[in-house]
Amino acid sequence: MADNSGFVVAAYAVTAICLAGYWRFLRRREKNFRQRSPRR
Amino acid sequence: MTYARRAWIVLWKDAVTERRAKATLNALLFFSLLLLFVFQFTLGADRERLVAALPGLLWLSFVLTGLVGLGRAFLVERENDCWDGLLLAPGDKSAIYLGKVAGNLILMLIVEVILLALFTVFFNVDIGRALPALALILPLGTIGFAAVGTLFAAMTAHVRAREVLFPVLLLPVQVPVLLGAVKATEAALAGESLGAVTPWLQLLVAGDVIYLVAGLLTFDAILES
Amino acid sequence: MSRALGTLALVGLAMGLVLGFLVAPRELTQGNVQRIMYVHVPAILVAYLAFGVVLIASIVYLVRRVDAADRIAHASAEVGLLYTGINIATGAIWGKPTWGTWWTWDARLTSVSIMFLMYLGYLLLREMVEDRERSARFAAVVGIIAALNMPLVHFSVYWWRTLHQPPSILRPGASALPRVFWMVVLVNVVAFALLYAYFVMKRTRVLAYEAEALA
Repeated sequence: MADNSGFVVAAYAVTAICLAGYWRFLRRREKNFRQRSPRR
Repeated sequence: MTYARRAWIVLWKDAVTERRAKATLNALLFFSLLLLFVFQFTLGADRERLVAALPGLLWLSFVLTGLVGLGRAFLVERENDCWDGLLLAPGDKSAIYLGKVAGNLILMLIVEVILLALFTVFFNVDIGRALPALALILPLGTIGFAAVGTLFAAMTAHVRAREVLFPVLLLPVQVPVLLGAVKATEAALAGESLGAVTPWLQLLVAGDVIYLVAGLLTFDAILES
Repeated sequence: MSRALGTLALVGLAMGLVLGFLVAPRELTQGNVQRIMYVHVPAILVAYLAFGVVLIASIVYLVRRVDAADRIAHASAEVGLLYTGINIATGAIWGKPTWGTWWTWDARLTSVSIMFLMYLGYLLLREMVEDRERSARFAAVVGIIAALNMPLVHFSVYWWRTLHQPPSILRPGASALPRVFWMVVLVNVVAFALLYAYFVMKRTRVLAYEAEALA
């Protein structure tokens, strides 16, 4: 039976990229705001 | 003024406007006739295949026509500055919703019946045996469409990209009703027993009830502004 | 608070990774590919949770007009959509070696895709309605209808097709999978849920800032 490890790696990579991507989106928005009005 | 009377007045107003102008009904009938031709050209080489796909094509036509028709459901009010009149109407605004849904339902049913007749003529299909079942399936399937469609039409009437947003919102929500209607129609046209059709009919009824109740409860919130 | 949540989530995810690869045994019939389930299943479960939160927040907003409820609904829908996307993508990647095809119109896949499209429309609506208060109201209505629609979608599509494995969680009966599988899935569900909470907290904060800036 084929190992198919490539698929496993791909799946976990896609998951990681999506989650990291959203995290970076949040970070960017938060930084953007902090720059414009330094408050907290 | 009672709730029912208010709903009736909205329905009556739309019916009279439509009868005088005849714009929407005629346009929808023409549009659905064109769809029929398009289906014939794109799928018609093999008659067997077309007849097999008939339930799907039928409901596809109903949905596409409905999208065009419902998308304009509140356009009349918008164009003639009657929107504020709607907003200022006293009492429960859901009566307006009911009237609108009834009006849209009737409009769609008229188009559907005529389209069904045209389908049988153009594609030479015999639906005689299935008529009683279809008489039940068509309204049940259309009520769900009209209920959510009217709600979303009221919402998107304000939006710039109305033509895009309305189908985008409505179609995914419509899938269960569409599935149920197509499957039920398939069973009916194949001459299957009522037993085969019943689970789908139950799904349709459940959907219709859920959508109507949701619409009645939330329409007020949409009209506020 | 949110930093603690975030760290906890990361710890959870790391644990899930370790468990999924080092502790859980290689599955007999599917081989290594089965390990994809350890992210595929938690993603959709937490997505359901997220959309449930959207439903509640939408109702709260319509009844009480609390801005925080609107922000929570917005954030929760975004994360829910993200997780649903992950579920669909990992499902397709799992499907190719297992079923031989990237896509099939079976009950579960179809159902989840419809859910994806509904909430994508939800976010699109929010984008396109300019007035903030109206956008919140309309989104709340769509959020409620989308959630109410899910059982209908589930049943209609399930009756229409059944190729997928019978839903092992949402259906009564004995589970065909070994206990260790469920343990890893559980760990990842908790991790994904913590991450969801973290994301929602940060997102609502960003939304609040943006609202203040425009006020």
